[in-house]
Amino acid sequence: MTTTRTTTGPVVGFDRVTKAYGAVRAVDGLSLELHPGETVALLGPNGAGKSTALDLLLGLKHADDGTVRVFGTGPREAIVAGRVGAMLQSGGLMDEVTVAELVRLACDLHPKPYKPADVLARAGISQIADRKVNKLSGGQAQRVRFALATAGDSDLIVLDEPTTGMDVAARQAFWATMREQADQGRTVLFATHYLEEADAIADRVLVLHRGRLLADGTAAEIKAKAGARRVSFDLEGTIDEAPLCALPFLTSIDVSGQTVRIQSTDADATVHALYGLGVYPRNLEVAGLGLEQAFVAITEAEEARQS
Amino acid sequence: MNSLIKLELARALRNRKFLFFSVIYPSALFLLISSTSGSPTTKVTGSDLTVATYMMVSMASFGALTAVLMGNSERIAKERENGWVRQLRLTTLPGRGYVLAKTASAAVVSLPSIVVVFVVAAALKDVRLDAWQWLALTGAIWAGSLVFAALGVAIGYLASGDAVRPITMITYFGLSILGGLWWPSAVFPGWLQDIAKWLPTHAYAALGQAIEQSRAPHAGDIAVLVAFFVLFAGGAAWLYRKDTLKA
Repeated sequence: MTTTRTTTGPVVGFDRVTKAYGAVRAVDGLSLELHPGETVALLGPNGAGKSTALDLLLGLKHADDGTVRVFGTGPREAIVAGRVGAMLQSGGLMDEVTVAELVRLACDLHPKPYKPADVLARAGISQIADRKVNKLSGGQAQRVRFALATAGDSDLIVLDEPTTGMDVAARQAFWATMREQADQGRTVLFATHYLEEADAIADRVLVLHRGRLLADGTAAEIKAKAGARRVSFDLEGTIDEAPLCALPFLTSIDVSGQTVRIQSTDADATVHALYGLGVYPRNLEVAGLGLEQAFVAITEAEEARQS
Repeated sequence: MNSLIKLELARALRNRKFLFFSVIYPSALFLLISSTSGSPTTKVTGSDLTVATYMMVSMASFGALTAVLMGNSERIAKERENGWVRQLRLTTLPGRGYVLAKTASAAVVSLPSIVVVFVVAAALKDVRLDAWQWLALTGAIWAGSLVFAALGVAIGYLASGDAVRPITMITYFGLSILGGLWWPSAVFPGWLQDIAKWLPTHAYAALGQAIEQSRAPHAGDIAVLVAFFVLFAGGAAWLYRKDTLKA
């Protein structure tokens, strides 16, 4: 099925949006735009402000400052117009009813509904349609939530960490389902803290850290930034820092005692050059940075660039 | 919203425990009390109604109270916590729709809990009233139950987690017993009677008993019910709004 989606202007627009809880700014001066047809990953570690940003987008929370526009209107108007389908991380389900009954309700409530049977089939839950909602596994419940988010012909699908509780196979099947949604010309926005997930699905990645937009680019660009590795080793005698600092692809260096810790965007080349210096590094370790550390590395790089 | 009402209703009708306590239990309690309270012509203390006639209204009111109060408070608290309320806010359903659907489905269950007590009273205890009285009783008790439906919603938005059940139970038994639904409040000590007459359940039952005696209800009782309705509905609306802003 192909639908032409008549959308001009941005699908979502955040203009200097701030939301604070007490002294903590969960979202801090966030500005961004999503364009029609994009599949966008909102990437960030836990506590980066992803859920708060999505809550603001969906009108579940109200910004302290700045404006949130969805299809040129407020979030609530966009939802009432049936243009947004969403699946929340914290979205509960009504229990003691069957999966089919719940999906039928979602279809009934959507202004441009699909047939419940089709929604069940597309979410891959036809075979559990008669099961009670409170008897589902975590992964099955996620699929039901997905069915609720796709009960009608919405133009924007918002998914908050949709693969939580799914095993690898279920995860892959899920992303295939989601790609179908994107292939129909929908704009898809999903939050995740897995770089691989963003890499595999999204054609644009927004990196959020401490409520701020750290990076906005293709998955490859983000990977280059966040794909840094950590190299550490010990050297004997007095350490001459100058040649170490000149190593290629090095982004930071820390020498404490006999131990040298380096971050590099190309660890292979850096280590190769290290041996070229004629030193004998001991206890050499090369490790990938976790996403969280990678974010810290990007933040520090940004801060260094700005000062 | 109709589809949500239908689904809420289907769920309530499937819940055997809930149906037992709101429909069967009040009728059983009616039979028990009216059969163990002396001869059929004995009048209730402080009233010129027989025990069966008096208790019929008390138990129909009690059944309606159970139907509208018990299910909703606990479910609302639970569904606020598990996020179903948030999920519904991502649909076209207006914010109030959730509460209205809950109240409407409770009202549908409360009707049989009233009627079953009447049928049992007429068939087994020879309670005889004029046709208009039966209709007026059903209408008054049904409409009056809205006061307690609002209370159920308010408790659902006030309490959370483990607290909601004890709070509901204390409110439910407190209102039932002190309001004179189980025993006529005329048998209470004087100081307790002074408290009881201000309770919404007391005014609620008094409404039905006035109809049985072919009298106009006391303005005082209606005033008490209206005041409590405004208090509970206002409280529920305020708590609902607070919860929405927080979520």
